[in-house]
Amino acid sequence: MRGRSLALPLVRILLRIARPASREARAATFFTGGAAVLAGSVLADSATEHYRGSFRNPAMVLPLLSASASLIINGGGGSFSRKTADVVHVAAGAVGLGGLGFHAWNVGRQTGGYRLGNLLYKAPLGAPGALVLTGLLGAIAGALRESRAGAVVPRLVTGRAAGAVVAFGLAGTVAEAGLLHFRGAFHNPAMWLPVSIPPLTALSLARDVARAIPSPATPYLLAMTATLGLAGAAFHAWGVSRNMGGWRNWRQNLLAGPPIPAPPSFTGLAIAGFGALLLLKGRTHG
Amino acid sequence: MAEDDADIRCAGGRAPDPLVPGGWLEMREYGEEPVDFVIVGTGAGGAPLAARLAEAGFSVVAMDAGPFWRPLEDFASDESHQSKLFWTDDRIVDGDDPIVLGSNNSGKSVGGSTVHFAMVSLRFRPDHFRSRSLLGYGADWPIDWREMWDYYREVERVLHISGPVSYPWGPKRPRYPLRAHPLNAAADYLARGAEALGIDWAETPIATLSAPIGKAHPCVYRGFCVTGCSTNAKQSALVTWIPRALRAGAEVRDRAMVGRIETGPNGLATGVHYHRGGQWRFQRARAVIVAGYAIETPRLLLASATADQPDGLANSSGLVGRNLMIQLNQAAWGQVDDEVRSYKGPPSLAVSEHWNYRDEGKDYHGGWSYMSQGPLPVTWAKTLAGGRGLWGRELLDEMERANHSVGLKMVGEALPNAANRVTLADETDQYGLRIPRVTHSYSDNERAMMRHATRFMEDSLKATGARETWREMGDTCHLGGTARMGFDRTTSVVDADCRSWDVPNLWICDGSVFPTVGGVNPSLTIQAIACRTADRIVAMSRQGAL
Repeated sequence: MRGRSLALPLVRILLRIARPASREARAATFFTGGAAVLAGSVLADSATEHYRGSFRNPAMVLPLLSASASLIINGGGGSFSRKTADVVHVAAGAVGLGGLGFHAWNVGRQTGGYRLGNLLYKAPLGAPGALVLTGLLGAIAGALRESRAGAVVPRLVTGRAAGAVVAFGLAGTVAEAGLLHFRGAFHNPAMWLPVSIPPLTALSLARDVARAIPSPATPYLLAMTATLGLAGAAFHAWGVSRNMGGWRNWRQNLLAGPPIPAPPSFTGLAIAGFGALLLLKGRTHG
Repeated sequence: MAEDDADIRCAGGRAPDPLVPGGWLEMREYGEEPVDFVIVGTGAGGAPLAARLAEAGFSVVAMDAGPFWRPLEDFASDESHQSKLFWTDDRIVDGDDPIVLGSNNSGKSVGGSTVHFAMVSLRFRPDHFRSRSLLGYGADWPIDWREMWDYYREVERVLHISGPVSYPWGPKRPRYPLRAHPLNAAADYLARGAEALGIDWAETPIATLSAPIGKAHPCVYRGFCVTGCSTNAKQSALVTWIPRALRAGAEVRDRAMVGRIETGPNGLATGVHYHRGGQWRFQRARAVIVAGYAIETPRLLLASATADQPDGLANSSGLVGRNLMIQLNQAAWGQVDDEVRSYKGPPSLAVSEHWNYRDEGKDYHGGWSYMSQGPLPVTWAKTLAGGRGLWGRELLDEMERANHSVGLKMVGEALPNAANRVTLADETDQYGLRIPRVTHSYSDNERAMMRHATRFMEDSLKATGARETWREMGDTCHLGGTARMGFDRTTSVVDADCRSWDVPNLWICDGSVFPTVGGVNPSLTIQAIACRTADRIVAMSRQGAL
């Protein structure tokens, strides 16, 4: 089920890219695609983690609802009204921000407050940020669809905005992966990958945003980051198998092992990054 | 399961692979030809030596009286069944305060008591290696703390200790190989109490994996740690040093009870008599290492007396068997509203070493640490019945509330006292060997420490809102001191290298060589000394000084 939720938007993106369309439309497809992957990652991840937390607080169901709605809207590729879509994007932003606040409050009230042990094991501080990113990318896609094709200024503005969102999102995701991989003591050398490649991607994209000129390296880095997100899920599946009982004991080990749905958030962000590049590239000769 | 618990498993060129159900590891066998080293005991002292000496190219046979387990298939989640890990052979205990032997101070398995230890892996406070000179009590160790610090590091790496990133006490130490485990609720109560009383606390450096390593799974927080870890997250000697020893060409003999060390006309050890498979056998060796812990080690030395050494082997100082030290294991308990379920996860996830490092405000010598607790049901029932005197309806009612009970337990330094000792009784055991008599009495110093510690721990519990607090005064843990190391042959049994002063090819390497026991669990220190001894043996061998 989780696999399908990730595969569908990817297929849609490929179909749309193959079709001749305006640069804005194509970029919007990258953003919705990225947002859909991100939403799928948030949905599966918060479902597992909040299930593990027994939904002790009723609000813990909110990210599941919001991410589901985002997945439908973004995965549905424009088949919903702008108004409906906007409500969903705003809701994602609001739930994400609320989650950031709630997680911060939750960690702060533990014994020892923000000491490392709590940062490693209590509510992950940055995780709800992925839902904020989902809302932002969805909203950018919506705005793009409204904008007049070929308009140079909006293209530059939205390209830069989207690029900044993606670069910032990558940086946050790197921080999260870094913290949790530190918790695992980087026991597998592959655990260094998400703190090596995506930071370069984020930097390269940030530089492109600042200069308003895409560098030739960025697409390669984005592609590597997107691939890494999928490879990460596979690595995490292997990690689950290394717990006692392996996959035979999946009901326990999916919760105890590394989160399989988390790494594809890199993939979602990287897909959106391609959209940003498209806009930046097209700013002068669109 | 094809094999029976009672089987000899190390034979036919193979030994069990403790990390794989039904698995085997290739094992070199030496027969009864003379080997370079025969090691008696495969726990925290013997197992590192077996691995390190075999890796250095020596021929090694390591014997253990206990069986060779594969925890994944041999261990049950059942406290009573798992008492199979304890050394429950006959002993006589006496003195004013006889020690309860058999569970938390013994082990009869390949891997020794590390197969069921609580995994707490603390370093000695540096000053405690020179307590006589610096603090005015006990005895100095002949080893410098800085050297020990390096060996601690080696052992921490081998055991993949999970520990806090910054440790609040003592000299700066390198980062632990793995991150600390999450605190369970019982540990959280220790932390909250410490914060309320304004002292430091930390996640306990602990020898159970917080990440998968090799074939070993990470900890599943099952909580059966002190009855044997069936996950193999616990980094016992059985799953760490022993496979390493086998791979390096050491032979391990399970269910081999050594009854006597033989000496030749020149006074040197020539091998050991051991009981295995229903008969007595003799293993010839160029050197013997005794690593049977603080009761079996002096028992074996005393039982190996000769006409030339009538008081026991290596006993010209008269100190073999003397200065037996326990560690104080008193506790404070209380009731709280929250559901604590303290048995979830390793029992001692949080620690305070405050009173190991602070000397002011004490009316006694020595240090102590205290840890959160997680007793399993049978243990808890015994604690309530024995330590608190509850029985019948009262006991049942209290057991009903077990999920809301929370406690703190100390590991406290008892001082060496020559009157506390291991001797041989006239009765014999199932092997026909004389039973050890273990004589123990507390001194006023220990009583003062107990009073202070239990009061402090009770205050800590009260500071977290615990009610109906009470003190458990009866328990002890860990042993040491019956073959102490020292600076000269008149005041010690072995030198800093764990080599007997009297018998140059006899070595003693386990908790019995401790001149003092400090306020921390001993397993890390025993393994560190074993690694140092291995290095010293290799160095002396190169210099032709063996």
